[in-house]
Formats: sequence, C-alpha cells, structure tokens
Amino acid sequence: MAFSNEQLERYARHIILKEIGVKGQKKLLNGSVLIIGAGGLGAPAAMYLAAAGVGTIGIVDADVVDLSNLQRQIIHAMKDIDKPKVISAKETMEEMNPDVKVNAIQAFVSSENILELIEPYDFIIDGTDNFPAKFLINDACVMAKKPFSHAGIIRFKGQLMTYVPGQGPCYRCVFHEPPPKNAVPTCKEAGVVGAMGGVIGSLQAMEAIKYLTGVGDLLAGRLMTYDAIKMEFRTIKLPHDTSTCPVCGENPTITELIDYEQAACELK
Amino acid sequence: MNIIVAGVKKEVPENTTVKELIYLENVETPDYVTVSINDEFLMKAQQETTVLREGDNVEFLYFMGGGC
Amino acid sequence: MADYIVDETVDITDVVCPITFVKVKVALEELDVGQILRIRMNDGEPVQNVPRSCKEEGQQVLKLLCNGDGTYDLIVKKLED
Repeated sequence: MAFSNEQLERYARHIILKEIGVKGQKKLLNGSVLIIGAGGLGAPAAMYLAAAGVGTIGIVDADVVDLSNLQRQIIHAMKDIDKPKVISAKETMEEMNPDVKVNAIQAFVSSENILELIEPYDFIIDGTDNFPAKFLINDACVMAKKPFSHAGIIRFKGQLMTYVPGQGPCYRCVFHEPPPKNAVPTCKEAGVVGAMGGVIGSLQAMEAIKYLTGVGDLLAGRLMTYDAIKMEFRTIKLPHDTSTCPVCGENPTITELIDYEQAACELK
Repeated sequence: MNIIVAGVKKEVPENTTVKELIYLENVETPDYVTVSINDEFLMKAQQETTVLREGDNVEFLYFMGGGC
Repeated sequence: MADYIVDETVDITDVVCPITFVKVKVALEELDVGQILRIRMNDGEPVQNVPRSCKEEGQQVLKLLCNGDGTYDLIVKKLED
C-alpha cells in the first residue's frame, strides 16, 4: 500500500516521528479499535483515533444525543440532539478523515452480544459509565484474549489501566465485583468537569495507538490516577500475582459472562 | 511510626490497622476501596486484622465508574 | 569520481517542511540497508533540517553537494530499517 500525496500530508507529523514512521502509520491504517460508549471518554478517544488514521473504528452506544451531553461529549453538536450517538459520532469521524471506516452499532453491551462485538477488533476502549458494563467488558476481553483500556472519571478525578493478556492484572483482579447499586457515586449524580473526559479519553486513545504501533510501554500492571484539583498524575504499581483472580487466574470460577443489574437511576 | 499512603509520608500511631487508616484518611467509600500494601492486594476481610508496620507503602484503589 | 553509487533519487524541491522529510522517509523505506539515496532539495530550510533529521533517524549522511542552481544534493546511506 503506497500513500497518496494527501495521506503523506495528513500524516506528516506521524511519519516524521522515528517511533512511528511510514511503517507505524501503515499499522494504524490497518488497525482496528472498538470504542464502547460514545460519551465523555469515548468522544475524544474516537476523534483522536479517527484523526490518527486508525483504519477501522467501531463505536457502540445505545443512547441518543442530549443537550446535557454537550458539556463534555465533543464529538456531538447542537445539530445532533436526538440523533443516535453512534450516528453522530460516525458523521464527525468521517468528516475528519475519509480514510477511516466507522462501524456504528446502536446497542447496549450485554453477555449476549459482547463477544461478537469485540471479536473483529485489535484493541478495545472501555468508555462506559457503569460498573456492570465495565465488568462485562473486562471478563469478555479476558475470555477472548483481547487487550483493552479501562477508564473512569468523576468530578475532578480520573483513572485508567490497560489490560494486555498475560501481562498483568485485569480489572477484576483489582476491583473484584461491581459495588452495589448507588454505593459509589457516578458522574451523573456527582458531576464531572468536561475536560476530564478529554484528558483521560485522550490517554486511552494514546494506549490504543501505542498498542497498534508497538511503541513504548503500555499501562499494563499499573493504574494511573489523575487528580485535577491537585494537578497530579500518579502511576500505582499493581500486584502482579493474578493467580487467584476469578476470571484471569489459574483456576477461573467465572467462565460465563454475567449481566449485573444496572442501578435504576442510570437507565433512561 | 511512619508509613507511605498514596505516595505521601504519614505519621500514624503504632498498631494502626488498615481499617483504622481507611477512616483516618477519610476514604469516601470505605466499604468499596481496594487496598494494596507493598504492592500486594489485601483482602477486604483482612482490613480489620492487618496491623500496619513501619515503612509500609499503602495504596487505595478507588472505584471510578464514570465515563458518561 | 564519486566513491558511492546512488541507488535511488528523490526530489523534494517541490514541497515544503514537513513534507520534505516525509518524502525522504518514504523513499528510505523503499531501500535496503546499505543502499544510497540522493535527495535533491532547495537551499534554506531543507538544507538546514533534512540532513539533521536523517542523522537523528540513524542514517549516514555521506555528502552535501551544491548544484549551483539554488539546489543541493544530499547523499544518504541507509543504515537502519
């Protein structure tokens, strides 16, 4: 595959990087990423991956665009209100970069569809806003041996970690099981600064780009936290013994996907 | 005695348990926090009986579910 | 007499930074290690930047020849893939 002059110009700043170059840009164009959730995290992640020329991007979300989303979900605009988020996201991404094929999937993820959804993709980004989905994505990615980026944001804080099969703990190693409904505040009730999605979602896009190009060290075996009030990033080393984990451990007890119940207030 | 909590040196009374530290640190969701000590996870059931020692490196890993 | 044989030539006189070096990188990509690329470039920014960028990429700059018409020929040996 030879680059067109337009592609050379579009990707010039990637190609001149020693770590990416022509080869890395080809890897991006041949790569695929599935973004689950077209919200605060998914919006910036999707935009940066589309701009970077990731050849195939899937985006999954069941919701339609609401005025209250526009404070942070920068992939959507006023004209998109009431439109399915995945359609709005697809339109923005395709306007940004015609090299990218966007698969828009308007659905909730569940034990029924998740394995089928993640199967065609190289890397998964969890941009969901609830624990049942986060545990479902983790378990499915462990079972299907897919790398993924977990992230969460609330108020002025965010966290992320990357799971790579065989390279350290999964989300369940750290957090075991979803907290009971309403035990832990969500960003819907506690609020979140819109730019938090930009910070953390962009880091998720960065992890996908690094995974696809093979550049640098991924956030595997580490949890990164960001506190915007203190303006502090920390990287916490996670225990590397995963042998007793119920899903990624040596003798898994969770061998089927679980649909945890969603807190009622989180469902529209 | 001195320990490290979330990367910061802290002085806590001798024989402080992990459970006590969770309250001393005003953890917002004390029942839903993962604790690691010196890069090893501590099971929730052991929080009450585990006594901290000089130099321990304690991390609190919080549930963060937002993304919306 | 030149003490090298040019395997490929790329002309970057028709483009500006950063496409200059992008075209050089694409041309280098096509070569095998040990082969030699001649890069025809304009005076000014390209002459200042392209040789340095080639070195930073780990390639060997053999010569910079003034053509007398406002262009230069940079001779680079590919050392790294």
